This record gives sequence, C-alpha cells and structure tokens, in this order.
Amino acid sequence: MATPIIDASHIIKDYGRVRALHGVSLEVGAGEFVALVGPSGCGKTTLLKILAGFEETSEGRLEIEGKDMRGVPAASRPTRMVFQKLALFPHKTVAQNIGFPLKLQRVGKAEIDRRVVSMLELMHLNLDYLDRFPAQLSGGEQQRVALARALISQPGVLLLDEPMSALDAKLKKSLQTELKKLHRELGTSFVLVTHDLEEAMMLADRICVMRAGRVVQIGTPTDIYYRPANMFVAGFIGETNFLPVDVSGALDGGLAVGSPLVAGEPAVMEAGNVSEFLGEGNKALLIRPESIGFLKGEPGPGHWMLTGVVDEYFLKGSTTQYRIRVAGLEAPVVMDLPGSFELPAEVGQEVRIGFEPARAFLLSE
Amino acid sequence: MMSQHFKNAVVDTALVGSVVLLLMFFYAPILTLVAFSFTSSRVLTFPIDGFSLQWYGELIRKPDFFPAVINSATVAAVSTLFASVLGTAGAIAWIRYQFRFQNLFRVVTFAPLLFPQLLLGVVMLLWFSVLGNWLNFSTGLVTVIIGHVVYITPFALVIVAVQVYGFDETLEDAARDAGASRWEVFREVTFPLLWPGIFSAAIFAFLLSWGNFYVSYSLSGTARTLPVFVYSGIAVGSSPIYPALATLNFVPALLLVGLAEFLRRRALKRQSTALSTS
Amino acid sequence: MKSQSKTWNDPILVAAVAPLAIVMLVFFLIPLAMTILLTFQTTQYYRLQWTWDLKIWTEIFSKPHYWTIMLRTVGMALVCVVISILIAFPTAYALTTRLKTYSAQIQILIIFAFLTDAVLKTFGWILVLDRQGVANWLLSYLGLGPEAMDILFTPTGTMIGMVYNLAVYPMFTIYLSLARIDRDLVLASYDAGASRIRTFFEVTLPLSRPGLYSGAVLVFVLSLGAFLEPKVLGGGTSPLASELIRQSFETRVNWPLGAALTIVLIAIGALTLALAAAFVFRRTPAARRELA
Repeated sequence: MATPIIDASHIIKDYGRVRALHGVSLEVGAGEFVALVGPSGCGKTTLLKILAGFEETSEGRLEIEGKDMRGVPAASRPTRMVFQKLALFPHKTVAQNIGFPLKLQRVGKAEIDRRVVSMLELMHLNLDYLDRFPAQLSGGEQQRVALARALISQPGVLLLDEPMSALDAKLKKSLQTELKKLHRELGTSFVLVTHDLEEAMMLADRICVMRAGRVVQIGTPTDIYYRPANMFVAGFIGETNFLPVDVSGALDGGLAVGSPLVAGEPAVMEAGNVSEFLGEGNKALLIRPESIGFLKGEPGPGHWMLTGVVDEYFLKGSTTQYRIRVAGLEAPVVMDLPGSFELPAEVGQEVRIGFEPARAFLLSE
Repeated sequence: MMSQHFKNAVVDTALVGSVVLLLMFFYAPILTLVAFSFTSSRVLTFPIDGFSLQWYGELIRKPDFFPAVINSATVAAVSTLFASVLGTAGAIAWIRYQFRFQNLFRVVTFAPLLFPQLLLGVVMLLWFSVLGNWLNFSTGLVTVIIGHVVYITPFALVIVAVQVYGFDETLEDAARDAGASRWEVFREVTFPLLWPGIFSAAIFAFLLSWGNFYVSYSLSGTARTLPVFVYSGIAVGSSPIYPALATLNFVPALLLVGLAEFLRRRALKRQSTALSTS
Repeated sequence: MKSQSKTWNDPILVAAVAPLAIVMLVFFLIPLAMTILLTFQTTQYYRLQWTWDLKIWTEIFSKPHYWTIMLRTVGMALVCVVISILIAFPTAYALTTRLKTYSAQIQILIIFAFLTDAVLKTFGWILVLDRQGVANWLLSYLGLGPEAMDILFTPTGTMIGMVYNLAVYPMFTIYLSLARIDRDLVLASYDAGASRIRTFFEVTLPLSRPGLYSGAVLVFVLSLGAFLEPKVLGGGTSPLASELIRQSFETRVNWPLGAALTIVLIAIGALTLALAAAFVFRRTPAARRELA
C-alpha cells in the first residue's frame, strides 16, 4: 500500500476497567473500501468512533492523512460519518440538513445551494424534497439524505455505522448497489461497520474481521471466504460445514489428512504453516455448502464420501438447500444445490454425499 | 345475557360521558363567570338580567385595578424568565448527566411542587421577615418573585425534562461530525430541539405566576397582584366586576396555552417520526 | 438514551446545577430549617424572643382544639383523594383509549382550566352554588325539586372546591401511567380470551398503579394546605389547618405557634410521602426503574 489514508496502530481503548480494544492495527488506503465485521460487542463500532473522533484512544497511534489525530476533535477531522440511526436533524429541511457542514464552513449561500442540488442529483433524490422535513421521507430516502450530508464537504474518509441495518431486504440490496457505485465514482475511502458479512463481501475491497476487541483477520472477500484464518471466521461467514479430521503427518510439503467418518483415501492438503497442524488440538475441514453434492454410485478418485439421512430441505429459488444428518457429526451437513424441477431426495431418505478435499480448507482451532 | 356489542357500547358511552362530565365540572365556574360578566344587574343571581358591558367599564375605573395588573405582569414576566432558565438548566442536569448527589438534587428541586402553596408561602415569609429584620427590608414584589420562582421552577423543569428525555444525543454527535463547535452545536441543534419544551414551560410558568394567589398572598406585603386584588375584593363583597376581570383573563390565556401545546406536540411528533422510520 | 457520566469538573454541569441548587437552598431549605428553629422561640408583647423553649410544642400537644382541626384537615384530604381519583381515572382511561384521537385537545382544555386564577375560579363556584346560583336554577329548571340546595358555606362546598382544584394532578399522573402501557399487553389479554372488563382489572389497572399512587399522594399532600376553599366556599364555618395557621400569624401574631402548626402539617405530608414511596417502590419495581 502506498500511503494509507488511515493508519491506526496498536489502538487500545479502555472504558474504566473494561478493555474494549486490545491493540488493534488497521490501514486503509486512499480510495479503498474497508468493512469492519464482527458480532456485536467485538469493538467494531468503538473503532469507528475512534476514527471519527467521538472517542479518544487510551493507547496507540492514529494518523489520518498523515496527521496525528491525538486531541483533534471530530469537527476538525477529515472524516464524516453516516450514523446508524442516521441522526438527521428533525427541525431542519432536507436542504438545510445536507448543506449544514458547508454552512459551518461559512460557505456562501449560493454556493451551498448549488452543491446541495448536485448532491441530490448524485443521490437520485427528487429536487422537490429540498424543503421537506426528514420525517416526511421514506427510510431509503432518509438514508440518501444522510449520505449526502456526509459527502457534501468532500471528506477524505466516509465512515458508515451499520447505516442499512434497519431497512427491509429489497431496499437494502438496492442501496448497497448504489453505495458501491458511489464509492467507485467518488474515489473516497469508505469504512463500513456491519455485522452482516454478506454485505461486507458485496461492498468491500478488504474485510477486517474482529472478535472481542481484536482483529482476527484482514483480507479480501475471497481470502475471508475461502481461506479463513480460523473456525471463528469461517463460521461467521454464512452457513458452513466443519468436518473433524485427523492429521497423520507431513507429506510432500503438505499434510496427510483423514477422517474416520468418510470413505475415501486420506488426502494431502496444503497448509500455510505446517507445524501449526501437527500438534494437539482439534482440526477440521471447512466445506462450503456449494462444494458438496449427492453421489450416484461410488466416489471417484480424490473424492470423499459420507452417508446420512435427509433431515430437511428448503427451496430457495435459485438453489435448494438440503440438510443431511450424518452419524458422528453434531450438526447436519448443509448443501446448496442448483435449483431444479425435480427434487433429488425426500426427507428420511438415506443418501450418499461427496466432496473433493481439494476444495475444502484445513483449519485448526 | 347482554351481547358483547351492547356491552362495548355501554362502556364507550360511560367513558365519553365521564370526560364530558369532567369538562363540564372544570368549566362550570369559568363559564359562569363569563356569563355573569355581561349582566346588567348588580346582584349576582342566575339567570342574569339582560346584557351589558358596564362592569368592564367599572372594573377599569377602579383605582387599584391597573396597579395590580402592572404588578402581576411584572411578577409573571420576571418569574417566567428565571423559572424557564433555571428549569431548563435543571432538566438538563436531571436527564443528561450523572453526578454525585444527583438524587438529592432531584428531590430538592422537585419538592416545592409537592408542597402546599400556603405552607410554602408561610415558610418563606418567616425567612424573609427574619432576613428583613437583619438586612432592613420588607416584603414586596421582589419577595413575591422569589416565591414564584421557587414554586414554579419545578413545573418548568418537568415540562422541559420531557423534551430533554426525547432528545436523541447522536444528533449532537452528527453536528460535531459535520464540523460544528460547541457553541454551534448548541445553537443549531440542542436549543432548537429543546425550544418547544422551553416555550411551553415558559407559557405554563407565566400563567401559573399570573394566577398565583397563595404565594403572593403571603409574600406581597403591601403590594397587590391581581389574585390578591380579587381576594380582598370578594372578601368584602361580591361584584360583577370580578366576572368581568375573569373573562378578560381567559381569552389571551387560552390562546397562549393552545399555541404552546401546538408547538410542543408538533416538535415531538416530528422528532419521533424521524426516529421511527429510520 | 444514554446518560453522560460526568464529574464535578465539567463547567457545563456546574452551570446547570449550581444556580438552581443555590436558589432552592437559600429560599426553600434554609427557610424550612428556619421555621423549625422558630418553633422553639417565644413571643412577648407580639415580639419574638430568641430563646430555646419547648413551650409551643407543649401547648400544641396539650390543646385538643388544634388536633380536632388537624384531624378534620386530614379527613377532608382523604375524602378529597378518593373523590379526585374516582373522577380522574375514567377520564384518564378514556383519553388513552376511546378518546385517544382528541386527547391532545381535551388535555389543553383541562390544562387551561387548571392554569386559570384559583381565586377567580373559586369565586365562580360561589356563583354556581349560591342559593340563587346556576346549579339551583338548573335543578328547578329540570324540575328536580323546588327547594334550593344549600351547598355554599358548608363542608360540601369546601370539598367541591378542593376536588375541583386538585383532581387535575391524578388525572395527569394516571394518564401518563396508562399511556405507557404497551398496547400489545392488552391485546394479549384479549387474545387469551379475557373480556374488556376482565382485561381492565387484570392488566390495565395493576399497570397503572404508579400513576394512581402518585396522584393520590399529590392530592393528599396538596389538600393539607387548602385555604381558599374552606374560607370562600366553606364560609369559615369549619376551619381547616390553614386557617389556624393564618390566624396565628395575622390575628394572634404568634409566629412560633404558626411555625409549629406549619411543621406539623408538613410532617404529616412528608410522612405520607415517605410511606407511599416505600409502598410503591416495594410493590412495583417498574416505578423504581422509572425514577432511577
């Protein structure tokens, strides 16, 4: 990365005796879209508030646009925020809301009007809305007004605190699409806090997964999805299957992996750090639901097979999800099959399912 | 066995009826006063004998009427100013902050509302008399104003507190984020959003002070406010000038109360819909 | 809504707290202490003597006359509480249910009546209750008896005035309690098969208790100081404590006595408040949370 616009290193944040952040480091490049993801209470919102200047760091260093942010109030930072509940001023019209940051900068009236109008156009908002109050707009429209207010002063970084969590699914999708386009057009750096990994995968260039005040993994959506750092990350991202495995030893620069539950030859799997998998502790194969299918006949070479009973199935439109109960596994195996006219199996039917270990990913706890 | 429908109708009628009866109860003396203000007779018996405005003229010609109006207006204006400012500050301290002795602060600032006004007046009168002996002053309009401020501020505080309670603090964060200084946050966001509550508290305070008898009666010394003027008048003998005075009192008061409530409710509604749809 | 946790070194907090705290200290708490102090003084030739004497207290406790009046005051206050609650509850209930749409307008009308000059309103009641007043005219007009009611200048007249001036308080406290009840709770009760009346007694009434109690206490405490009503509408025939206090100051110029009677009345009120607070706190944890 050339020069990051945000450079946070070893940020520690204590609330009284409770430590909310345990030395978090994060770099955000100019024009990059980074998503902070994690379960509630993981510290993602705290980190965002520290970036915005609503919270001071207890320890660690934060630089934005190359300047140390210690003691710099929110008002003077090159960041603007879109709040979770939007925080539109109920007593100001749409135009006054959007133009507010410019008014504070003592920009002339005519110039404010011009830029407010161009923001409305950018956000595909009707110009008739200028004199309305926020309460008179729909949820999606309020969202756009909040975005317009945050973007009008052309901040270096836009911070978004779960701004779409309250919208219904359809509206959410369309706003997500627009947000991504907006990011591409403006070239501003975006930092998005969300607990919805699907949203993060759709929008972000890089995802930072947090847990209990620590960064667990930072990487591209593909990294996070197919090469999660551990079971927490893997489990956090959508539905997934874990198959407990034994590692019998190193082999050809990889690891020999087998499982008593499956029929098939032990496979040789790649692993970044071989020694990590040779010790004690549980190991598991991460198998995405779309990487498993029904088997007709015997498994081919390089395939592993499990037998089980169909527990339940769900038609999801483009895909059909099956849940298969396998003896020896706690949770049913989840499989996503392409949708079809005919159902391949009924509930209660005994089935064989298979997958290629090469398309799975080896994890240790 | 009564049908459910019939039962519901009975309950509804009883409910609506009780409200109508209560309003009639509340307005019986008020409307009676208005009716009697237009009587043409000196004797206050019902039904009134014919229509006239003579008692309004009589009232205005009474020599101690205008001084009482001026006294009442002065007291009400000054008390309102103090009660609104103190009440607003107090409401913010009640709701927005947490501090040591906060509960004590809450109890002490709320207590005058729980105090029978007469006793409040008496207690303060004793203090002012003792103080007056030491510092050589006697009770008058200033002590009335102090008494009104002590009595009325808790009311103002409660009204503003409702507004502060409904206040979304992230709006202040949003203003700060947009680049506002502390003063700009207050001017642009905090004050405009609290204003409807402060305004209706001020109206409430004004009318409470304007119509206050007990505290003024104890603390006014030789000065007279309107209620004291009326009290000493009716103690001597009733006259249709008091209904006329009452009628003159009602019209502006009703307008003020209506306006204040309208503004307060509109603002609360605006705020709540803005939050609920987001 | 989050509360900011602040210490005393925040200048804004000091600015918010200090002026009001000082006003209440100097003009409310100190006068109260002063009044207590005064009860231990004596008067000679209408002049206050600074001593330390229990004379007034022995006088008060030995004269049944004072206690008759005190008891009458408390009795009137209790009756006033019952009537006020009975009047206030149906209205508050109607404003949160059947008449919800008009609740704002009706409340303005009630607030307005409340804010009107008490002396004028009380005088208005004279015109209503007089032998030749509106009430008697209405009764004979409706053919409900030729003989006029004599309410004016009786304890009934006093009571009408007291209820009139105080019923607004429980109306609002009960209204606030009722308005806060989650509508789904009521629906859940209907859903469980309860009738409207059953639901009222099983759900609505118990949940409105905080408002009911606080309204009752407010009426009780405030009616201890009723002065205009017994004086103007009761005609002074059966004086209440306030009249006694006024006399000891104005007619007898016996400040220590007036102060002591005031303190007795305040003590009765404070005791009631404390008992009620303990009772409500114990019965409804919701009330505790609300206050916290």
